[in-house]
Order: sequence, then C-alpha cells, then structure tokens
Amino acid sequence: MLCQHCQQREAKVRLIKTIKGQTEELNLCEPCSQKIHDFNIFIQPGIIVPDFLQALFGFMTQPEKSGIPQEESCPRCGVTFNQITRAGKLGCSVCYDKFEPQLESLLRRIHGGGQHVGKIPLRRGVALKNKLELRNLKEKLASLIQQEKFEEAAIIRDQIKQIDLK
Amino acid sequence: MERKQILIKHSFWMKQQEDSPVVLSSRVRLARNLDMLPFPHALTQQEAKKIEKTIAEVLREIEVENENLAYLSLTELSTIEKQVLLEKHLISSSLIKAVGSQGVALAQDHRCAVMVNEEDHIRLQVLMPGDKLAETFRLANILDDALEDKLDFAYKEALGYLTACPTNVGTGMRASIMVHLPALAITNQVQQVLGALTHLGLAVRGIYGEGSQAHGHIFQVSNQITLGKSEEDIVVHLKAVSSQIMEHELQAREALRREANLSLEDKVWRARGTLQNAHLLTSDEAINLLSFDKMGTDMGILPKTKQKFAALLVDSHPGSLQYSLDRELSPSQRDEQRARLFREAMS
Repeated sequence: MLCQHCQQREAKVRLIKTIKGQTEELNLCEPCSQKIHDFNIFIQPGIIVPDFLQALFGFMTQPEKSGIPQEESCPRCGVTFNQITRAGKLGCSVCYDKFEPQLESLLRRIHGGGQHVGKIPLRRGVALKNKLELRNLKEKLASLIQQEKFEEAAIIRDQIKQIDLK
Repeated sequence: MERKQILIKHSFWMKQQEDSPVVLSSRVRLARNLDMLPFPHALTQQEAKKIEKTIAEVLREIEVENENLAYLSLTELSTIEKQVLLEKHLISSSLIKAVGSQGVALAQDHRCAVMVNEEDHIRLQVLMPGDKLAETFRLANILDDALEDKLDFAYKEALGYLTACPTNVGTGMRASIMVHLPALAITNQVQQVLGALTHLGLAVRGIYGEGSQAHGHIFQVSNQITLGKSEEDIVVHLKAVSSQIMEHELQAREALRREANLSLEDKVWRARGTLQNAHLLTSDEAINLLSFDKMGTDMGILPKTKQKFAALLVDSHPGSLQYSLDRELSPSQRDEQRARLFREAMS
C-alpha cells in the first residue's frame, strides 16, 4: 500500500485518530509519519471548512432553534435544509430565499453580520434598477387612473414605455 | 495553440520580481454562479455538461485586454497534465477530484484562469508575480465584467453574489498573497507573526492551499470574510498586512545577519552547494534547500543563478518534471531528474 500522504513510498506506519467518536485511519510511510508528528512548529492547520460548517449548521438545526420544519425543500432544486446541513453547501441560488431565516444567523456567525456592500453586477445591476423603477411607475399609473388624472397618467405611461425599450 | 505549448510554459506569476523578495505572488479569486441553476455538487451529469458547454462558449468568445482565453476540458487531460496545472496554481485539487464536467480557461501567460464547475459554476482567478494586489484585483474585475455581460449571475441585493458555500457569499472574493518567510521560520517567529492574522479575519495556509504544509517556508495569507466588506476594503486590508509581514521578515533577516552571520552564510552556501552537486533530491529536500538558496540570493550572500526561484519550485514538482520529459518516472527516477534539473539551473 502506498503512503496516503505523499503517494510515493510504501506505507509502514498506521496512524489512528479518534475524534468525537469518529475514527480515521491513515497509512503513512516513515518520513511522512515523522513529518506529521513534527509538524507543530510550522503552522496551525487551516480550519477544515465543511467540518466547521457542519458544526455550525448542526447547532442551527436543533429543533427548537430552527423555525421551519426540516422536511421542507427548496422549490427550485429540491434540496432540504437537512441535506444542506450534511453537505455544508446550498443546493442553488433559490435556497438562499427559501432558507433565509436559518441562514441569517449562520451568515452572521461566519461573516460577523452585515449586508453586501461590494460590487453590483453591471448589466444585471441596471436591470435590477429598471425593475424597481418600473414597479414604482406602474403603481403610480394605476393610482392616477383611479383618480381619473389621465393627462398625468399619459406621462407616466410614456416613461414606462421608455424603460421597456431599454 | 497546442495543449503542450499552453501547459509547459512558465506562468506569469513565476517571473522573478527583484523588488519584492518576500511577497512572491498576488492572487484574486472570484466565485460566481449562474442564476436559478443548481450549484455544481447538486447537478445531474447532464445538467453539469450543459452548464460547462454554456460557460465554455462564453469563455472562448470573450476577450480580456485584447486577448482570448484557451479552454481546456478536464476530461481531455491526462493525470499528469492536471497535476501540472495544479502545481502552477491554475486549478485546485477540488477541480481534479470533482466528478462531472469540469474545465479551465487560461490566458496566454496564465495570468487569468477560470475554473468551471468547481465548488461554484465559475471560479475566476488572476495571479501575478510580486506584491501587486491592486492590479490583480483590477484585472479580475475586468474579467468578471466580461463574463457578466454574457451570463446571468446569481445575485441578491442584500447578500451579493450567491455561492454554494455560505463562507463565500457576498463579494465571492478571496484575495491572497504568497509569502516567503525563511528568516521568521528559522527564528521561530512564524507562529507569532502569522498567528496574529487569524484575529484579523485572515487565514494562513501552506503553499498548496487548505491543509497543505508550509513547504519551503512559503505561506498563503487570504481574507476569510466576504460579506459586509467591499472588494476594495479587502484589498487595502490585505495589502497593509502584507507590508507588515514583509517588514517582520526583513527584520528577522537583519537580525540573523547581525547575530549569526557565520551560521547564516554556512546555511545558504550549503544549500547552494547541495543543489549544484547532488545526484538525488527528494522534493521536500529540494524545496527547503531552494528556500535557503533564495534567501541567500535575496540577501546578496549568494551570486544570482540563471533560473529563478518560482520557476524552479514548480519545475521540480513531480507532475512538471514528468511532463517536461514526456514520460512517467518512478519516485527514485524523479529524485535523479530533479537533481539534474538543479545542477543545470544552478551552475
């Protein structure tokens, strides 16, 4: 058997780790087993993200903590919150809407809270702005028509046409 | 261009930056996903294939600073070719491990690399030599705009760019610098200097990313937080930290010169001597000797060699070594060829 670390030399040392009841076995060659043993002088290993997330998600999904029953699934990709917890990953962009309440506190734990203040996509950003404006204008138009203010309504109607053309 | 020509060349980041002895390279990576579609890990084979096709088409079409990208589908690449890309930091090990339809698009000098169907549909990176984070970010932004012009990215006003893993949501940006800290390592200060960074929302890793060891006294420092901070803030923050790290390393080098000059000279000359004369070199031994050789050269103790540090570092890795010789080598054959590479480069 080859060493699972360097994949080069014959494995001669078996390293067994038991963490939280999970046993992991590693077959290593002598140089690699030494290196792993001596490793502490250099660098603390980076946080293994999936484990860390699973722990966070796990905490979040204790029944009394989560608002939404766990069998509910994302209308777009069908993934349940349980599956997200296990994978440490969301299924699709719609999951962010579907599981917003659970994700909110998770995101706060990871990023320390706050909203996105970075880049806005160029093209979609314009579309987003137009969509909002269009919605506002249409509401205004409806109310003007109801009030029978047709001249003003005509102006708004032209503005809507302008945005539609963009 | 032929695949071999694309893969064999030295990437732009491997060029020596004389004015930047400590910061070897700067990288910005952006994670993007197509709107309304399952993220790569949740895709069926067919969906993954379709997404790869859509993105590959766009990647072949766009121009970044008047230059086209070359698209490589991972299924067409041999194990060694994938390893070469990994050793040059152009793809990740997760991309190689992923099952489905993966690919990578590369700029001619490899300064831009776009991975398809890794953890996210798109992982674009810009990688440059030396301390050039601002410039690296500027180009990443241009590349992102070019892609966004043709593709609808998953984005929410409050959460920014949506990613498979919530640790990347927001800017989707990971900015990092690769630093060479031999003097801090010898004087046992690495833990102290880099340990402090984790309290500042930064992560420290070895040269080949998550969980990898600090071979050759090389470390990667990157931002952890992607939500609630702008891209510009992330760059400025990391840049300030990188100046601090550089300062500490240069101070440690001066301290070594002052307090232990003879041992220092002995150490770096021995490294040079071994690299010039050895007939067998394991990759661990080579990278550590090369690290001391670089420090000796940067400090003006050793004369300069024709081949530069980062190029030798990558060329001496197993994949690149085998690829340049066009044949598979056993570990002991590799040690022999690696020693030959150094003897020629260092003479």
